[in-house]
Amino acid sequence: MCPQPFFSSFPRGLDANEEVGDGMADLEYLSLGRGQRRLQDLRRWLISLPKRMGQGALRFVRGLAGLIKKLGLDIADIGQTFVKGDWKTRVSFFIMGFGSFARGQFFRGLLFFLFQAVFFLYILFFGGAYLAKMGTLGTVETSRQGRVTVYGDNSFLILLYGILTLFFILAFLYTWRLNIRQNKISQQILAGGKKLKYARDDVAALADNQFHKTLLSLPMLGLFTFTIVPIIFMILVAFTNYDYTHQPPGKLFTWVGLSNFRTMLSAGSANYGDTFAQVLFWTLTWAFFATFLNYFLGMLVAIMINKKGIRLKKMWRTILVMTIAIPQFVSLLYVSRMFAADGLINSYLISWGWISKPLPFWTDGTWARITIIIINIWIGIPYMMLIATGILMNIPADLYESARIDGANALQTYARITLPYMLFVTGPYLLTSFIGNLNNFNVIYLLTGGSPLSLQLRGNAGYTDLLITWLYKMTVTDSDYKMAAVIGIIVFIITAVISLTVYNMIPSVRHEEDFQ
Amino acid sequence: MRKFFAIVLSLTLMLSLASLPAAAEGFSGEVKIWVPDAMVDLTLAKVEEFKAAHPEYAGLTALVEPVGEGDAATNMITDVEGGADIFGFAQDQLARLVAAGALVELSEENAAIVTEANDAGSVAAVTLGELMFAYPMTSDNGYFLYYDSSVISDPSTLEGVLEQAGAAGKKVYMQINSGWYQTAFFFGTGAMVTYEVDDEGNLVKANVDYASDKGVAALKGMIALANDPAFVNGSSASDASNYAAIVDGVWDSAAVQAAFGDNYAAAKLPTFTVDGETYQMSGFGGFKMLGVKPQVDEAKLAACDALALFLTGEEVQSARFEQSGWGPSNLNAQQQDAVKADAALSALAAQLAYAVPQGQYPNDYWSTAEGLGDDVIAGLLNDLTDDQLLERLTQFQDILLSLIAQ
Repeated sequence: MCPQPFFSSFPRGLDANEEVGDGMADLEYLSLGRGQRRLQDLRRWLISLPKRMGQGALRFVRGLAGLIKKLGLDIADIGQTFVKGDWKTRVSFFIMGFGSFARGQFFRGLLFFLFQAVFFLYILFFGGAYLAKMGTLGTVETSRQGRVTVYGDNSFLILLYGILTLFFILAFLYTWRLNIRQNKISQQILAGGKKLKYARDDVAALADNQFHKTLLSLPMLGLFTFTIVPIIFMILVAFTNYDYTHQPPGKLFTWVGLSNFRTMLSAGSANYGDTFAQVLFWTLTWAFFATFLNYFLGMLVAIMINKKGIRLKKMWRTILVMTIAIPQFVSLLYVSRMFAADGLINSYLISWGWISKPLPFWTDGTWARITIIIINIWIGIPYMMLIATGILMNIPADLYESARIDGANALQTYARITLPYMLFVTGPYLLTSFIGNLNNFNVIYLLTGGSPLSLQLRGNAGYTDLLITWLYKMTVTDSDYKMAAVIGIIVFIITAVISLTVYNMIPSVRHEEDFQ
Repeated sequence: MRKFFAIVLSLTLMLSLASLPAAAEGFSGEVKIWVPDAMVDLTLAKVEEFKAAHPEYAGLTALVEPVGEGDAATNMITDVEGGADIFGFAQDQLARLVAAGALVELSEENAAIVTEANDAGSVAAVTLGELMFAYPMTSDNGYFLYYDSSVISDPSTLEGVLEQAGAAGKKVYMQINSGWYQTAFFFGTGAMVTYEVDDEGNLVKANVDYASDKGVAALKGMIALANDPAFVNGSSASDASNYAAIVDGVWDSAAVQAAFGDNYAAAKLPTFTVDGETYQMSGFGGFKMLGVKPQVDEAKLAACDALALFLTGEEVQSARFEQSGWGPSNLNAQQQDAVKADAALSALAAQLAYAVPQGQYPNDYWSTAEGLGDDVIAGLLNDLTDDQLLERLTQFQDILLSLIAQ
């Protein structure tokens, strides 16, 4: 069957088998004109929105309740194990691995015991002190004795090691639970008259049915150290006053609750709200144009080059692909200079007498935004052209043939065959490139660096700053880590919401079977 | 187990105590120094001279790394512990560095020596509250007018400079979207913005009167300049093209000389006229300095102090002038004939008579001033009445005042 066009897919597909919210019968719906149907689709979608959100909330609450119930059962099980357990099991509650050891599983017992020993030593001599200061992030200020500096608490390290210690405690609780479950299972196995597993079996299992653990342990460790811990650290920084006036080790920083978020989101001259709205508006506008202009123009170029009768196809493609071959770092900086007030473009226009004053490509906010979008087309089209060329060649030629026989014109074949097919295949690509453009640091930073600034904007933000370049300026130029962390969180929320919503709407996901 | 740890701990403590030098005399070990790329070789050579002159520091190893003045301050603030022990920076970074705990104050003896040997402006520039936090290294961080004497015969008025350059189809460069160059107009009409900073680097008071007739006059001067067809925003000679005049500093003298050749000339900034009133352009007089990071080891601190003092002394300042044309802050070095004969430096000296020694400004001052300048260049203020301009300046002033509350 012919796939549905992209924008109609979200409402109609949704309600295909459901009771329609406004009571309109299918026949009535089908009798409407095309435009009215779309309107109707949109209405249904909007009507269904609260219901769907309600369902989502309900699912969340149910999940939470399930989790709490599971936890309760688990605690009950721990109690049961203690009551029904023999003395070896009971001692294991306090000395981990004792039960395993006493039952002859020396390897497991030793591992459990070592873990417990390391944990307590760590808490006692290292982590405990940091964890205790997590509430205040340190109270002892750095001081001078004469001219020699005596460093006090380091809020940065307290926060970092505090987080690590919390993770260690979670890991300990998990291992402790594991140790108790082990005892219960061992007791059951022995009661059933079977044999326990020993060290040799355990090691052999790691290469056999436990092989996934062997393979994944190293990547998980890397993920934890280089991704999870830094992310949690950065999220927590958003709730502190960490900036250049609170810079460890010389100064302390501390918790300030939600005040950074208030500064970022409230209006008024002392707050960032108006600036944030400007930057967010431009970020979304930019992502929209950068994605869809490139998409349609790239496709158009690909179709034109693909057309029968066009000569020198390879040459046209090569010329376009040349832009990819030159590193953006070089080409963008150069283009940025070209459009400057004293750059090539303005100089030539003036010397030809077309203008008397330089055009404000980078100095006027609106001009700068438009210039950036247009330059980005030049960079983006070749990529899209390459992708589209491959897909276009893949569309069955008989579809076009039958369309021609039925008397469809070029526009109709495009709208009914080419575009739906393209959207179906490149839906996920469109989504990722939209998200990528939201965070397209390179183009903006190399072309304008966020300029022009204005008295109407606060916090060093300019009219062409994306959230991500603003974040960069805050960390690198202004050492304003707390506000940068706030923006980081907001960017995450925006990209997560857009990704999840749109992903579930695109035809490739909703009508997976259409082209199979 | 705990006993064992107690023993280990006390052993480590004893060992670390034993490894401390017995007395504060002499120091051997590594001292990390950050200077701009052009100064690395010179600094290395001078450190050797220092070691030869001070045998007690013969064991000192200098690790000299090329880090520009702007980056040095930012890197120090980001990571004090990993940063250099001695580093060069421009004085606008001083309060930030002190606030971030990246600078240690000078000892009383060194403060006395520095005060004696350097010009008053540079001494004031390294002082916050009652304390001195760095060693003045240059007294040349200001700007003036370079011009092509074949195009511009009379560089005394801004209007004249623009007209002569325009007639020859050439450009006049000045970076007015910068809080640094902008003050040429504002301070010129008598408007003022300064911040008072305590000796911990905290802003305690702002003195601003931009929202006044003087401020409006200055802003109108800027708008008139921005609307002149010969004007281009920018003050970096190496990025400028086809120019007959540029407001720039001594660091670009080589680039300007290359562009102008035999017609290379420099003068104090011109005057500008607004509503029939003529004002002399003013601006910042600035300085570069060497700072020492707070140290936990007294011997190392003494070594760093001595080395920093030496590296900012008369002889090393003269060497910097000879190699790269950095204008000395040392009074004796300033008296050399070669220094006096330098076209750029004498233009700067003439301009310094009208300039204001640059104090401390928060980061937001610079970005807000850039915003004002960008608004002027974008033409957003072109059609505004004096009252509306005053409104903008009031907004500007309110932002500058609000920085104290933070």
